[in-house]
Amino acid sequence: MNYIQKLSGVLVLGTALTVPAMAQTVIAPSGSTAGTYMDYMKTVYDRGTGSELLQIPLATFDKEFELTPMAAESWEQSEDGLTWTFHLRDGLVWSDGEPLTAEDYVFALERAATTGYDFAWYWDFAGGIDGWQEVTEGEADASALGLNAVDDHTIEVTTTAPKPYFPAVTSLWYPVPKHMVDEYGDDWALNVDTIVSSGPFEIESWEKSNNSVVFTKSDTYTGPWEPQVERLELDPTLAAPEVGFPAFLAGDADFSFLNTGQVPVAQAQFPDGIRENAVFATSYISYDLDSEPFNDPDVRRAFYYAVDRDELTSTVLKDIAIPAGSILPPGYPGYNQDIAAQAIFDPEQARQYLADAGYPDGEGFPDIEIWYRDEGGYNGAIIPAMAQYLQAEFEEVLGITMNIRSLPGPEWMDGLRNKTNNIFIAPYEYDYLDPSNFYGIFYDGGRHGYFVSDYDELVAQADSESDWDTRLELYAEAEQIMIDEGLIVPLVHPITLAVLSGELSGEATEPNELGFTPLDRLAHYFYTHVTK
Amino acid sequence: MLLYIFRRLLSVAVTFFIVSVIIFLMMHSVPGGPFDANEIPVSEAVRQQLMAQLGLDQPLYVQYFKYMWGVLHFDFGVPYQSPGETVLQLLSRAWVPSLILGGAGVALGAPLGILLGIAAALNRNTWIDYLASAFSTIGLTVPVFVISMVLILVFAVWLDWLPASGWPTPDRWILPIIAYAAIPVATYARYTRSAMLDTLSRPFVTVLRAKGLSERRIVFQHVLRNSAIPLVTVFLPMFIGTATGSIFVEAMFRIPGLGAYFVSSIELRDYPLEMALMLMITFMYCIAYLLSDIVYALINPRIRVGGSE
Repeated sequence: MNYIQKLSGVLVLGTALTVPAMAQTVIAPSGSTAGTYMDYMKTVYDRGTGSELLQIPLATFDKEFELTPMAAESWEQSEDGLTWTFHLRDGLVWSDGEPLTAEDYVFALERAATTGYDFAWYWDFAGGIDGWQEVTEGEADASALGLNAVDDHTIEVTTTAPKPYFPAVTSLWYPVPKHMVDEYGDDWALNVDTIVSSGPFEIESWEKSNNSVVFTKSDTYTGPWEPQVERLELDPTLAAPEVGFPAFLAGDADFSFLNTGQVPVAQAQFPDGIRENAVFATSYISYDLDSEPFNDPDVRRAFYYAVDRDELTSTVLKDIAIPAGSILPPGYPGYNQDIAAQAIFDPEQARQYLADAGYPDGEGFPDIEIWYRDEGGYNGAIIPAMAQYLQAEFEEVLGITMNIRSLPGPEWMDGLRNKTNNIFIAPYEYDYLDPSNFYGIFYDGGRHGYFVSDYDELVAQADSESDWDTRLELYAEAEQIMIDEGLIVPLVHPITLAVLSGELSGEATEPNELGFTPLDRLAHYFYTHVTK
Repeated sequence: MLLYIFRRLLSVAVTFFIVSVIIFLMMHSVPGGPFDANEIPVSEAVRQQLMAQLGLDQPLYVQYFKYMWGVLHFDFGVPYQSPGETVLQLLSRAWVPSLILGGAGVALGAPLGILLGIAAALNRNTWIDYLASAFSTIGLTVPVFVISMVLILVFAVWLDWLPASGWPTPDRWILPIIAYAAIPVATYARYTRSAMLDTLSRPFVTVLRAKGLSERRIVFQHVLRNSAIPLVTVFLPMFIGTATGSIFVEAMFRIPGLGAYFVSSIELRDYPLEMALMLMITFMYCIAYLLSDIVYALINPRIRVGGSE
């Protein structure tokens, strides 16, 4: 090797080593430490960190929760309301240079319907795609789905009933590189070398022991929302505030979520860095409606009136939750103040209902055990403390003994589904921005195994109603049934607090019109609208 | 001795078999499966399909024998939470940071603890003894995540001498190793102190002193050796601890080690990995106790193994 070659080799190596170090890198906490496939359309619950950032959905939400076209430039609904047509923008490519086509989107859902997708319920219940149920149950093959790639740029979707909110549903519709699946099968998404992206970022490395990733700005991305930063490190080990905040203080993270104990310290030290976000989520009590004592609506109504949400959120859950009167959180489409206002604390009325049910002052009421799911994140901060508060309150107000049990996810879910217990604290965070999302979880076949025919009828009617105001009236009627029947007790909506480094700026770091900063809850928006 | 070792190995095999059956049954008797933790349960059709893909639709005994047949061929299956690799590949990847952390922690902690214990025993009821005992009490009673947090606060945040967490460069290994060493130091200090005091009060020490041996020779050559039995007893299991890592230290310092897999394999119902980890621990404990027994015989001729005399 001659001298020039050696020198250029050193120079190339030197540049390769220094460029990533010099480029702006945002280091941020993120979801779960267990990640299987870097493919959102293969698994949602066990996905590789940031899989959704690597791909471009048909549409997504900005920080005001306005639906924004992404891969789809435009869309329209047919006269009968059953068919949606999406037009892809020109020039979209995969990071390996292959064109991104309508076929990649259709393939993503065809594969999801046929190979056991852990998020399959979404496309039936939210999407209402024609033939979805038959295909997932193996009664028909993928060609029976109401999906059609008309040409490279046009996707046609047929639904079983009019779904006026379908474009919002497509915010979770990401393409899958058919050409890679043809070559490598699902394993394309296991290895950094074979992972291709269509979105604003490309993958550089993936540490599987904790599911942390390094992404770089994509060179080939031509869609909307180009990233402002060169590199992104998403690290689930920073997600727990107990670990994330010390790392933030030491300069190892650009933002961190805060637990209640850290809030005063962070407020004093970084008054301009604190950001609040109302998560579109609700914690509520649910029951086994079919067995004693909660098969009696009066018992359930007693519980509904026995919770002092204001005291709860100003004491044990100070700064991390606000009272919930409705299953829908404030600011969420369809939120109804009149519904929420009915959830008051009225100990007299609570005792009266319990007496009507045959348990005056709680006499003769069986001991019960409330089950909650052991988990991290904002639920982990809220629910255990809330369970203890409720225990004391139900004893004081209703004179009943309620024990508490914390269970791992699968056991808790098993109890809910197979009704091996009768009272639960359940949290739910939205999956798509439409009231049908929250009302659907109590629909027949939803996660609670509830079957209330009047309620189901109203929700079904509302889901396919195209006039927005009429829809909302129908949902409000449905929720009134929930209240009258005491199907659930809405408890609180979580608030998350985070502290941002002064080095971060850009639109995504500023609060929205409601005063909230969703940060990485809106990953596509956040990571393309932040600068450092 | 050889016959004894052979017999012990045989009993290891039997223990291994019994433990594997118990673990397998317990693991599968816990409600819920790998796809049951989702916000919305998967439909029955989807569930059955997923279970069939993993072979979980077969009868339990079939699953057990299939798995154990694989184990005999060093095939521990593919972890559900990391389908791109085998369980063995996962272990060899994640074990490295845990071994570094645990190995360095014990290598640092054990000698330090022994020295502290010796110092305490030789200076009984003086300030040295009280300091050593205060130190070891703190090491054993203050949870390691609190120690970790204090270390991070002091050395990374306030003094800014060392990075707070992470694993990419060796300067980030220092704080977690110190945190990890707290328990070995404390354990060894306590065991060494009491064993030394016990030995120091024995008549042979008086004889050695009467013979005019230097105090240094008495302590290091005679007393320490005669106090070694309890130290061996705690050392080997502690050594296994180093292999499995510390879940808390690894979480606090964001170390991509094995510790978290012990929890996640159970939470996610990752049966192949859970089984492999448990079998690994079983095997290591069996071997560690076998080694302990052999070492006992070597350091104390009065202990005879195998009853061959």
